[in-house]
Amino acid sequence: MSIMDHNGGSVIAMVGKDCVAIASDLRLGDRALSISSNFQRIFPITDRIYVGLPGLGTDVATLRERFRFRVNMYTIKEEREIEPETFAHLVSSTLYEHRFGPYFIEPVMAGMSKTPSGGYKPFIAATDLIGCLNFAKDFVVAGTASSKLYGVAEGLWEPDLEPEDLFETISQTLLNAADRDAFSGWGAIVHIITKDKIITRTLKGRMD
Amino acid sequence: METSFAITGKGYVLMAADTTAARSIVKMKTDEDKIKTLSPHLLMAYSGEPGDTVQFAEYVERNIRLYQIRNVYALRPAAAASWIRRSLAESLRSRKPYSVNLLLGGYDTSSYNPQLFWIDYLGTMTEVPFAAHGYGAYFALSLLDRYHDPSASLEEGLDTLRRCIDEVSKRLVVTPGKYKVKIVDKDGVREIEL
Amino acid sequence: MARRYDSRTTIFSPEGRLYQIEYAMEAISHAGTVLGVLAKDGVVLAAEKKVTGKLLDLSSAKDGGYGGSGEKIYLLNSNVIGGVAGLTADANSLVNYARTAAQRHLLQYNEDIPVELLAQRLCDMKQGYTQFGGLRPFGVSLLYAGYDPHYQFQLYHSDPSGNYSGWKATCIGANNGTAQSLLKQEYKDDILVKDAIGLVLRTMSKTMDSTTLNSEKLEFAVLTLDPETKRPNAKIYRPAEIDALLLSEGLTKQDDDTEMKAT
Repeated sequence: MSIMDHNGGSVIAMVGKDCVAIASDLRLGDRALSISSNFQRIFPITDRIYVGLPGLGTDVATLRERFRFRVNMYTIKEEREIEPETFAHLVSSTLYEHRFGPYFIEPVMAGMSKTPSGGYKPFIAATDLIGCLNFAKDFVVAGTASSKLYGVAEGLWEPDLEPEDLFETISQTLLNAADRDAFSGWGAIVHIITKDKIITRTLKGRMD
Repeated sequence: METSFAITGKGYVLMAADTTAARSIVKMKTDEDKIKTLSPHLLMAYSGEPGDTVQFAEYVERNIRLYQIRNVYALRPAAAASWIRRSLAESLRSRKPYSVNLLLGGYDTSSYNPQLFWIDYLGTMTEVPFAAHGYGAYFALSLLDRYHDPSASLEEGLDTLRRCIDEVSKRLVVTPGKYKVKIVDKDGVREIEL
Repeated sequence: MARRYDSRTTIFSPEGRLYQIEYAMEAISHAGTVLGVLAKDGVVLAAEKKVTGKLLDLSSAKDGGYGGSGEKIYLLNSNVIGGVAGLTADANSLVNYARTAAQRHLLQYNEDIPVELLAQRLCDMKQGYTQFGGLRPFGVSLLYAGYDPHYQFQLYHSDPSGNYSGWKATCIGANNGTAQSLLKQEYKDDILVKDAIGLVLRTMSKTMDSTTLNSEKLEFAVLTLDPETKRPNAKIYRPAEIDALLLSEGLTKQDDDTEMKAT
C-alpha cells in the first residue's frame, strides 16, 4: 500500500458554462480505520479560486499553510488578487522545490480567470506530487478514487453545463466513485464557482 | 497495550489514558501519568515510542509555557494544536522523527467552546467530537459512533467513557489495567476518579 | 558638545541621553498628523497627508490595492491597520516587516497575530537600532488599530526608541499636543464607532494647518467586527469615500481659491 493511500480521500474539478466546480469527500482515515468524517481538504485561495489537496493528511495541512502564506505575501506585495494561472504555477513550483523528497499531495485547482476584455473564463488544473501541471479543458481528478472518478466522469460529463447541472454532474460522479473506493466517502462537499458567487453544499453519501 | 480516549460534551473535554509503562512484554510501572497539562485550559494525552513520548511532551510543555510567560495570555487551543502539529510535521522529515501520537483537549476561554484534536506522529491533525489512539481505538471508535452525544452532561460523558474502557478490557488481548481521567472545562483542568 | 555624542545611536551623552533617538522623535513631530480613537465596537484611524500636488499621480489609489493612497495608512494584517508618521521610506520598510511577521505568525499558529504581539515584533527591531551598529534609528512612529479575541479592539503606539503603549485615543505627528488635549476633553469611555468617526474628523480638521479638508489631504480607516462572521473587518477608505464621508459629517472645509475660480 502506497503512502498516498494512508489517509484516503479524493478530489475532482469540472468545467461548466461560465462556471467551474470542485468537490471532495470528507473522510480522513488511518489506513482502514476512519478517524474523521468531516475533514476539509478543499480550501479557498481567493474569492474565485479553490484548491483541493488529496493525499497524505499531514501534507494537506502543511501545504495549505504554505500556499496561504505565499498567496498572502503575493497579494500584499502586488496589491491585487492572484490569478488562477499564476496560482497554478505557484503550486507547481512549491511542489517541485521538494523534487527529491516530495509532499505526498496531488493538488487540484478550480477557478475563474479574468480575460483581457473584463469577463471571466473557467479554469481547472491539476498537478502530480512533484508539480507537473495538467491544464484540462473538461475535468481533472486525484486521490484514492481517481481511477473510478475517471470512469464515471467520462460517462457523465458534457460541455457547457449550467451551474445547477454541473453541480448535479460533479456530485453524482464523486458520490458514485467514492462508493466503489474503501478509502473515500463519508459524504462530500461541493463548491460551484461562478463569476460573482460561490455555491457551497455539503452532501450526505452512504455513511457507512 | 497503550490506549487513550477523549470525548467532548457540553462545555467540557474528557480525556483518559492508561497508566502502564511497559518495556517489551514487561510492565515497569502502573501509575504513569500520560496526560500533561499544557496551560490552564489545555490537556495533552500522549502515546507512542517510549522515550520519544516524554521528550516530545516536555518540549511542547516548555514551549507553550514560554509563550504564556512572554505574552501573559496562553495560546488558544486551536493555535497550540497548530503549533504542535507543525512541530511533528517538521520532525517527520528530519533525520530522526518523533514517533508520538497525541490527543489535545482544550477549552477556548474566548469563544467558550470545548475543542478536541486528533494528531498522529505524521503531523496529521483533525478536529473531532471524540477520538482515540492505540489498539483501544478499534473498539472505542465504533462504540462512540453509537453512544457519543456532544451535548451530554458530565455524568453522561463519564458513563460513555466507562463503556469504552469496559469494552477494551473485555475484547483486547493485552488490556491496560488502570486509567487516569482528566477533564478540562471553563474552570480549568482537574483529575477525576472514575 | 552634543556633537561628540550624537554621531552614533549607540552612545549615551553624559546626561544619559541618546541624541539620535531624540532627533528621530523630533523629526516625527513635524510629520503629518496621525490620529486614532478606540471605540467600544471598533477603532478609527485618520492621517494627514503632506505630499500633495496637482502633478502627483494618484491613479493607482482610485481602485486596486486596499484603499487609502499608500502614504500614511496601511493594512498590516487582516486584523490590524497601521498608521505611520515620519520618514516614508523607513515606514515602508517597517510596514513590510510587520506584514511578514504577521504572516509568519499565521503560518505557525493558524490564527491572526494578536495586536500587541505585532507591536512587540516591530519594537524589538526598532529597539535593536538603538543599541547595535546601525547608523540611525527608524524615523517612524506607528499607530496600530487592531482586533484579537484576547483583548478585543486595541490601539497601540510605538516610537523610534522601541517603546510601545496602549491608548484609548492618541495622536502622533505635527500638533499632536493640541490634538491630544482636544481628545482628552471629548473622549468618552463608551464611545461608539459612529461617534468616534465624528470625533476623529473634527479633531483632524482643528489640528491640520491647511484650510481644506478633503481626500487630497486626508487618509481614513475604520476597523470593526463583521456582525455575521464575527471576524474583524478592516476598511481603509478610498479617496472618493473620504469625500463622501466628510460631506455627510458636514466637515468639507471651503477652499477660498476654488470659490474664487468658480466665479
